Amino acid sequence: MARHRILIANRGEIAMRILRACEKLGHDFVCVYTRADQQSGHVRLALASGGPKSLYRVSSYQDPSEILAVADATQATAVHPGYGFFAEDYRFARRVVQRRRPLLFIGPSWPQVRDLGDKINTKRMARAHGVPTIPGSDRPIYDEMQALELAQTIFAFQEDQGIGEGCVLVKASAGGGGMGIEEVYDLDSFRSVYRRIRNYAKRNLSDEGVLIEQRIFDFNHLEVQVLAEGGGRSAIHLGTRNCSVQSLGRQKRIEVAPGFDPGSLPYAFDAAGVLAAITRHSVHMALQVGYDNVGTWEWIVTPRGEPFLMEVNTRIQVENGVSGVTSRIRGRADCAQGVDVIAEQIRLGLGEPLGYTQDDVYFSGVGIEYRILAEDPADRFTPCPGRIEAFGWRPEPWLQVFTQVPTLSRGEEPYEIPMDFDPNLALGIVWGQDLAQARERGVEFLRGLVLEGTDTRGEALRTNVPFLMNRTQTILHF
Amino acid sequence: MLNVKEMLEEINASPYEEIEIKTPHTGVVEFVGLGLGDRVTGPSGKWLERPGTLLAHLTREKNKKPICATQKGQVMDIRTELECTFVEAGERLLTIRHFLSREEVISRILKKALHLFVAPERAKYYFVPEIDAKIKASGEQSVKVREGLDMFIVSRMKRETPLSYSGPEGIIYAVYFQQGDNVDGGQPLIGVCPESQLSLIQDVVNRVQGEWEERD
Repeated sequence: MARHRILIANRGEIAMRILRACEKLGHDFVCVYTRADQQSGHVRLALASGGPKSLYRVSSYQDPSEILAVADATQATAVHPGYGFFAEDYRFARRVVQRRRPLLFIGPSWPQVRDLGDKINTKRMARAHGVPTIPGSDRPIYDEMQALELAQTIFAFQEDQGIGEGCVLVKASAGGGGMGIEEVYDLDSFRSVYRRIRNYAKRNLSDEGVLIEQRIFDFNHLEVQVLAEGGGRSAIHLGTRNCSVQSLGRQKRIEVAPGFDPGSLPYAFDAAGVLAAITRHSVHMALQVGYDNVGTWEWIVTPRGEPFLMEVNTRIQVENGVSGVTSRIRGRADCAQGVDVIAEQIRLGLGEPLGYTQDDVYFSGVGIEYRILAEDPADRFTPCPGRIEAFGWRPEPWLQVFTQVPTLSRGEEPYEIPMDFDPNLALGIVWGQDLAQARERGVEFLRGLVLEGTDTRGEALRTNVPFLMNRTQTILHF
Repeated sequence: MLNVKEMLEEINASPYEEIEIKTPHTGVVEFVGLGLGDRVTGPSGKWLERPGTLLAHLTREKNKKPICATQKGQVMDIRTELECTFVEAGERLLTIRHFLSREEVISRILKKALHLFVAPERAKYYFVPEIDAKIKASGEQSVKVREGLDMFIVSRMKRETPLSYSGPEGIIYAVYFQQGDNVDGGQPLIGVCPESQLSLIQDVVNRVQGEWEERD
């Protein structure tokens, strides 16, 4: 395979994972960073692994001209968008491949990003391929009166169904990752929430379109990790994940693979059957639409075991690692202890064939991923900006920690948490032979984690570690 | 009571500002032949539509962008070693020594005279759409504020929360932040003038205009 120079158009822990995957595959890399991110681990790692010529300061991670100027100046041949920023921006993906000096875009082809990046279009495509979807609007709403009428209809429908306290979800049509989404319980507050989401969408997503949907209560949020080869030639899955432990803002905090554990926990429905159904639907749809890279099919499962496709994320996700630690590929020595989903994504993005089928994939044990954030779960998960003065954990063979925060002891130069991004500090992924062992190891990791600092008011830094610890005992219960 | 004379003397003791001209983004730099000690001018015209003196060009993705002086002054330092090289964003190109103008002196003094509503913490601040539209249409002095008025959207770590104004009722006399830029906690967002004190503020403005001597 030709040696490529891959520009990593992202930051923090994902940039570090991409950088390591590039090295593993024998490719060169170039990293970018902004002034606010000078202390980030990806800056240190890029300098240590590639020297000063592998790192460039840019004005913004969100300026495509910056990314492409660095790509040209460094003779990069491909761009990896990571997650967030340009990962699901089909205009960027198109620009990368259609410019005078074309580059490879490590992700799905731009028409796939465009078609599946729109939640409503995804819904239509899913329905066309016989995949079940959530009841609600099938097009973005731009008019306030129309939105109000739709909300009225959904509240009236819920009342007819005997639901005591109806609820409507208002979400930015072009949004994702739990951002730009709110619940509304009555019509009186609907208008202000609608305006807030519309303003958010306009400012952050350049699209005022808003979706109004019925809120399904007490559901579980499941995902299927799909890997597909160009033009719908081949598609496989790396199992399911359960992402139901979330913050109030519907952002994931713990992900578990597999999505249910019918072997050790009782379910009111055929859980194994649901997992089989969602993987089958996801791979079927990926093949039908000609999907051509890694992607995640996101599902909600009701308490009665009904699965509905929510959306498709046409990118690598934060939680790819938890599917990786529980997946194996026969005949691949490098995948005997787990699959590096990012390395697989790079291979596919550079045009290599998948090289194995679903029959070659098997699963082992249970993985739990913890997202460690500077936030206050007791105060509606409000971000807690500040500085980290001590950070560390005990290495274990069953533990992987991905973080841009340097390991620190008190007295060393503290790490200032940048204000411009999510307050994500680290991802901790534990593996166990079964759910009980994975939980036990999860608690052991969290108990041994040293994470101390001060917030901007000089008080102790608040993190979600106690919340993660509490929720570990009930994961996969439904 | 505001001692305008004392404040003017204080400013007169150090009437310069060193302005660093930095690259707004990455690109290849070409200077245009300015030398040390050369005088440059800032943007001019009613709407500042005429750019300042051309200092350099920055080329990115075949787009050549002029880098112009943001204020009038004198070139103190040029980094000629960067000529024709690809530079990072935020790289310093040159330094201009700028003599404070009347407006800048007025602004400094008003910061002490007006009621300043400060940023409670480091974050990005935006006016709520209704106030933003009013300011864009009729200027900041068209907006009356009162205690409890929802004025700002605070965005930090990708979360947005509303922020209400607290302080005396009055009109917005000055806006001290750029929407979308990070503002440190304690930095002023707006300067509010109670309507009863408008004449006093106007006196300060008139006095500075009369007493401050502009220099090149």
